[in-house]
Amino acid sequence: MILSAILVALLATGSQWWFNHLITRTWLYPLWSGFLVGVFMGQPILGMKAAAYIQLTYLGWITAGGSMPGNLMVAGIYGTALTIISKADPRMAVTFAAALSLIGIVQNTAYMTINAFWVHRADKYLEEGNLKGVRLMNYLPSGILSLLLYGLPVFLMIVYGATWSQNMIASIPKSLANALNLVASIMPALGIGMLLNYIGKKKLIGFFFLGFFLTVYFKLDTMACFVFASCVAAVMYYFQNDTEEAE
Amino acid sequence: MAEHHLTHKDLVKAWVLSYSSETCYNYERLQALGQTNQMMSVVTKLYDTKEEQVAALKKYMEFFNTEPSWIGTVIHGITISMEEQKANGAAIEDEDIISLRTGLMGPMAGIGDTVSQAVVYPILAGICCQFALQGNIAGPLLFEIVYKALMIFFGYNCFMMGYKQGKQAIVSLLQSGTLDKITEAFSIIGLVVVGNMAYSRVAVKCPLTFRSGEVKVVVQDMFDTLLPGAIPLIITLLVWRMVNKKMNPTLIILIIFIFGIVCSYLGILSAA
Repeated sequence: MILSAILVALLATGSQWWFNHLITRTWLYPLWSGFLVGVFMGQPILGMKAAAYIQLTYLGWITAGGSMPGNLMVAGIYGTALTIISKADPRMAVTFAAALSLIGIVQNTAYMTINAFWVHRADKYLEEGNLKGVRLMNYLPSGILSLLLYGLPVFLMIVYGATWSQNMIASIPKSLANALNLVASIMPALGIGMLLNYIGKKKLIGFFFLGFFLTVYFKLDTMACFVFASCVAAVMYYFQNDTEEAE
Repeated sequence: MAEHHLTHKDLVKAWVLSYSSETCYNYERLQALGQTNQMMSVVTKLYDTKEEQVAALKKYMEFFNTEPSWIGTVIHGITISMEEQKANGAAIEDEDIISLRTGLMGPMAGIGDTVSQAVVYPILAGICCQFALQGNIAGPLLFEIVYKALMIFFGYNCFMMGYKQGKQAIVSLLQSGTLDKITEAFSIIGLVVVGNMAYSRVAVKCPLTFRSGEVKVVVQDMFDTLLPGAIPLIITLLVWRMVNKKMNPTLIILIIFIFGIVCSYLGILSAA
């Protein structure tokens, strides 16, 4: 139990303290981070399913320029951990993850704000010619900060949270559970909306409807859509080159 | 003065260190400290005296932010090649390096975020979630392996391309519009797949039924005859509209919560 909690806490720490993206890049995403939570807590399959439901809510979320519309890392890691300790239905966990991710915005903002202090210290060290100090400022204080902001809360939640979270889940009436299920089913629309906003230029938006109705009428799965879309994209790309050469 | 040249090993080391650019991520200067940390490995190789090293490093403490792991590495490649030429006496000013980095960080973030966050991530995660929900452990494993393999392939090659071809190649690529066309091709794939997900993932139906005399009318059946998928489509388009109106995502999430709970209690909508 304690060991699981420690491992999850370290994972949560690294999910914001990106010490090297060769490792931490995918800790951002619930499908992988939540699966790791499941493995650390000895429930890989349950963790994986909860992680997948949470992940589906966040398809298409774009974090650019340091802004984060909701805390993906908290949703994936805290959400999966909460599902496991509360013995909840993984589908239902999605709504808790979404709620947690809103609280997580505070963690992210605090992290990004406080870290500016270390940059100023690094300025000073660089002025003094202390290169080791600069390097230290890049890694150490931000790591400790993330441990406090991300690691400690999830550690406490896993060690002390089982009883209250199970009571909370048990106290939810069937009608509210149904309602939360509906909320979870609508939630993917947000990520999709964000993505459409990012890549959905007017001249390309027809392709969104193409994918939608290929699925409605021909029951294509995601992989099939990907394969056909790649063919279309390749044709479009080379045709464009041709018309330019002709001009 | 002896010539200072970077070996392949130095370059690989700098590439690996570039992945720490967001370790001390902060609102004030974003990736600046991380970049200084990366350049430290290069600068200590190129300059002998501490004064020169400090002077060279100072310019990297300036505000910097780009897409860090897929495409943005090309900027680091170019920067390192410029720093190397400068150390060996080429007429390159600090301002040249700073303005190049500031000029490229926006466009590279645009392309990098499209490829990594708008195309690869949703498609890969969407497919892998299907496996995971079937209880297949290949889901998360495939996600981790394929994502990292693609990231390393793109990140490494862009870094090395930047170093070898320098700024001219990138600037001409930007000007010829080739990058826009590639971005567009990726966008097409992303849009089709997202269209698929709007139907398969926004799984909402209408449970209402009416009784007029002997005839029982199931509302969902009417939708299925007229325009199947109308409900998920309308919901998705409404949410997109909210995003497009620059509404705060937190607010949108709250609206979805309230809308979902109200519709569920009124019996208008339910999870499919």
